[in-house]
Amino acid sequence: MKHNLKKIIALTLSIGMAFAFTACSSSNSGDAGTTAQTEDPIAKYGSDTLKLYNWGEYMGDTLISDFEEQFGVQVIVEYFDSNEMMYTKIQAGDSYDVLVPSDYMIQRLLENNALQPLDKEMIPNLSNLAEGVKNLPYDPDNTYSAPYFWGTVGIVYNKNNVDIQDLEKEGYAVLKNPKYKGKIYMYDSERDSFMVALKSLGYSMNTDNEAEIEEAYQWLKELNDTMEPIYVTDEVIDGMINGNKDLAVVYSGDATTILQENEDMAFFLPNEGTNLWSDAMVIPANAENPKLANEFINYVLTYDASYGNSEAVGYTSSHQQVMDDMSGEGGLYESNPAYLPRMGYEKDEVFEDNTVLKEKLSELWIKVKASN
Amino acid sequence: MRQFKNMAYPYMIWISVMIVVPMLMIIMYAFTKHGNDVATFWFTFENFSYFFSDIIFINVLKQSLYIAVVTTLICIVLGYPAAYIMANSKEKNKVLLMLLITFPTWINMLVRTYAWMGILQDNGILHNILTSLGLEIKLLHTDFAVILGMVYNFIPFMILQIYTSLTKMDKSLLEAASDLGADKVQCFLRVTFPLSLPGVISGITLVFLPAMSSFFIPKLLGGGQYVLIGNVIESQFLTAGNWNFGSAISLIMAVIIMISMYITKKIESKNGIEKGRTAN
Repeated sequence: MKHNLKKIIALTLSIGMAFAFTACSSSNSGDAGTTAQTEDPIAKYGSDTLKLYNWGEYMGDTLISDFEEQFGVQVIVEYFDSNEMMYTKIQAGDSYDVLVPSDYMIQRLLENNALQPLDKEMIPNLSNLAEGVKNLPYDPDNTYSAPYFWGTVGIVYNKNNVDIQDLEKEGYAVLKNPKYKGKIYMYDSERDSFMVALKSLGYSMNTDNEAEIEEAYQWLKELNDTMEPIYVTDEVIDGMINGNKDLAVVYSGDATTILQENEDMAFFLPNEGTNLWSDAMVIPANAENPKLANEFINYVLTYDASYGNSEAVGYTSSHQQVMDDMSGEGGLYESNPAYLPRMGYEKDEVFEDNTVLKEKLSELWIKVKASN
Repeated sequence: MRQFKNMAYPYMIWISVMIVVPMLMIIMYAFTKHGNDVATFWFTFENFSYFFSDIIFINVLKQSLYIAVVTTLICIVLGYPAAYIMANSKEKNKVLLMLLITFPTWINMLVRTYAWMGILQDNGILHNILTSLGLEIKLLHTDFAVILGMVYNFIPFMILQIYTSLTKMDKSLLEAASDLGADKVQCFLRVTFPLSLPGVISGITLVFLPAMSSFFIPKLLGGGQYVLIGNVIESQFLTAGNWNFGSAISLIMAVIIMISMYITKKIESKNGIEKGRTAN
């Protein structure tokens, strides 16, 4: 027994020492590595931690790890699945260094003085931005925001089951064509569904005319009551890849993914116009680490980082060269009509923020869904 | 005993900070609305009158009650025999059965509900099996799917409650009953069942309340077009940003729940008197 005990103690000690040694050596090599590559991030940026708040499944697989390695910093990522969810957290006083909200939400954050201007000297890569996504109305000279992804909203349809002539003739109204009853995915958000209805009726999607909104409400209600639509958000991707339905209102980036995975599917942008949307990186006013935030934004706008993002997610890059390469000859999305956004079409609009209208639409939307 | 009273203070503080204060805030929101620059908010009944004046909201409330009641009934019908079998099985099997029932709850509820989506959807496993048998039925996005999801998620609460009350029961009462000439059915109906009622009632509370207010089960299994009262509240807070109306609906729910708790309490105390009599 005694003998055994000695053995055990010796073993534990040796294991413990082995650990101590490896710990020493690894920490040594780690320090040496970072100092050799870059300056001490704390001296340079004031901190070595960046808090990023982004959409779920919206980044290339190695974006964060590459940035961490290159700059010797640590990135804490949190995810949101709607602009409103993000806004609620920001309003509650949570602090992040970089957010990636959509156009109208950037407008609202600006109206609340919740953002700080970008340090353009730290972000030379702003010059890489694609023509169509620069200087949009919500931030006319990109003082506060650096676009991340952009695109349109259109209809994905199954070529075998949907007559393209119906789509071309009826536009969005194809969603009310009794031929396709029970075969429809609608996008479950008041913003996108009212866009469809208002565009189909020939109105602006930013209207605040009560009669027009009422008409759009009736349009959606009729669709709800007669067509048995299913309202989804991200589930639309799997649903259409599996061919569960024949028609779906889809964001262009998701459409890119669907078309890559299921060759029966095609993408159609109605002539009545659509929502030309963009998501952009911004720095909140209460960011603890604005310097590192600017560095991160600059990093995302490099060719490699932008390429990685667009490759992994399928959304259109805000980087001109990446966008051209991906949609051009030999590019990953060469033959994918959903990837390249429609530019300069007069009936396409950028969504504007209007809190009163939003509340009203949101209420009408829950009523649309709850009727029948 | 008295010195232990002090130990309740941390809990009292916890309760007041985490339950009473939020409750008061909900009440405050429910009875106010955003005002202008002079008065930031004012008192109003508007949120409530808006809810009750619109037939759509009333229908949503009815539908939610209907789903919750059906779910609870199915949980009792399926859960009682399961609990009964469990309580009367061998000690060794009891552990195994208990494990089988609690096992699914180790996995996150959301993940389990997503799994059902895969099983029920068009071209999903169950749908394909039924189709190959010649039955072309839509499973996902129906009442059936929502109720199935709720029963599946909440039935462990019912089984465990009934099981506990059955195992706590004094077995000598059963022996006495059969000594006095009662057959098995009579034993069950006149001794076992009345004594297990408290378990059934607390099971009802534990199933009915979440079934009434769940919003992600109807959202996932019913599709976005399936709107229950929980979904309305969620949308008011998260997308509409109308916290006042959302709070008003929450308060209406709270009142309904309080009334149902009061009724179950009544039944329970009545039962308690009977129990007292049998014990005498």
